[in-house]
Amino acid sequence: MRGSGDTLVALGLVFVPLSLLSFGGGNAVIADIAQQAINVHGWTSEREFADLFALSRAAPGPGSMLAALIGLKAAGIAGAVVATLAFYVPSAALVLAVSRLWGRWRGSPWHTAVERGMAPVAAGLFLSSGIAVLRASPGGPAVWIAAIVTTVALLRWPKMHPVPLLLGAAVLFGILRAF
Amino acid sequence: MTALSSSQRTPSMARPGLVAIFVAFLRLGCTSFGGGTAGWLHRDIVLRRRWIDDSAFLQMLTVGQALPGSNGIKLTVLIGQHLHGTAGATVALFALLVGPFAIVLAVAGIYAGLAGNRTVHDMLDGVAAAVVGLTFATGLRSIAQGAPGLLGPAIAAATVLCVGIFSWPLIPVVLCLGPLSIGLAWLQARRR
Repeated sequence: MRGSGDTLVALGLVFVPLSLLSFGGGNAVIADIAQQAINVHGWTSEREFADLFALSRAAPGPGSMLAALIGLKAAGIAGAVVATLAFYVPSAALVLAVSRLWGRWRGSPWHTAVERGMAPVAAGLFLSSGIAVLRASPGGPAVWIAAIVTTVALLRWPKMHPVPLLLGAAVLFGILRAF
Repeated sequence: MTALSSSQRTPSMARPGLVAIFVAFLRLGCTSFGGGTAGWLHRDIVLRRRWIDDSAFLQMLTVGQALPGSNGIKLTVLIGQHLHGTAGATVALFALLVGPFAIVLAVAGIYAGLAGNRTVHDMLDGVAAAVVGLTFATGLRSIAQGAPGLLGPAIAAATVLCVGIFSWPLIPVVLCLGPLSIGLAWLQARRR
């Protein structure tokens, strides 16, 4: 059990800092989750990471359950629990702590500066996350093309609901690749 | 107190207990498909249950903007705290996560049984491509809606270069570019 205890600690050490840096949401840090899970710790192969990323979208709820799936793959159910708590609790605790002090800070210039300043970093992290997933995906150029087509379509029609889009893409790939 | 007399009251802000909070957020966690938990929260907690009003909801959304974490999580914690203190926040967060957690583990179990199946991989590639499209669109839209000028796009491009292209570790990159970007935004605001 020694080895799995070490893995649980490693999961915590990966996900706690990422929780506190996930400006703009959990999707922002997927590039680094990929890097850590595939190259640093070897918890998943590239193929597995790409599949787990897609599977994490099958679950409802806030953002990504990707942490749970990486934890599951690395150290079973205990790993899934540790990774999920490590990824969600620190940022939740931070927002609780800050909200108590909020009254004093409302409208202060530095709050605006933090908000303004972190927005482009968060946007850059979002784009990087997409790139990291495409790089890990063994699906070839078809995945890159489909991602770009989806991007353009969503920029053109922002109100499109994502669920039919995901199902459509799944069915399309399932059918086209069969031939 | 009869049901009739309570329904005659004006719909003031109710004070739900921990069980009610648990049930509400469990349901939200299990039904908010397709991301955008903040929107689902607004519909359920503000419009349907009337546990908090619009202005409180917007304030909570704003508190979270400058902090890390997903909007859904931050709002859940703040609403839970508002309704029932730290216990409320803990119960709401746990309830929100436990449903999706169980579902995703079940899905992973099914996947493990099908892992050799090519069509499953192909369909998952399709899902991944569409999710990446969603991510790209969100990132690009947020750059376009940012403060005017080239500073935002330049910082975003630098982030993409370091993290996306060079695959540098995210933590040092954010710890360098974040303060730099905040400092520049501060100077820009002061000059106006």
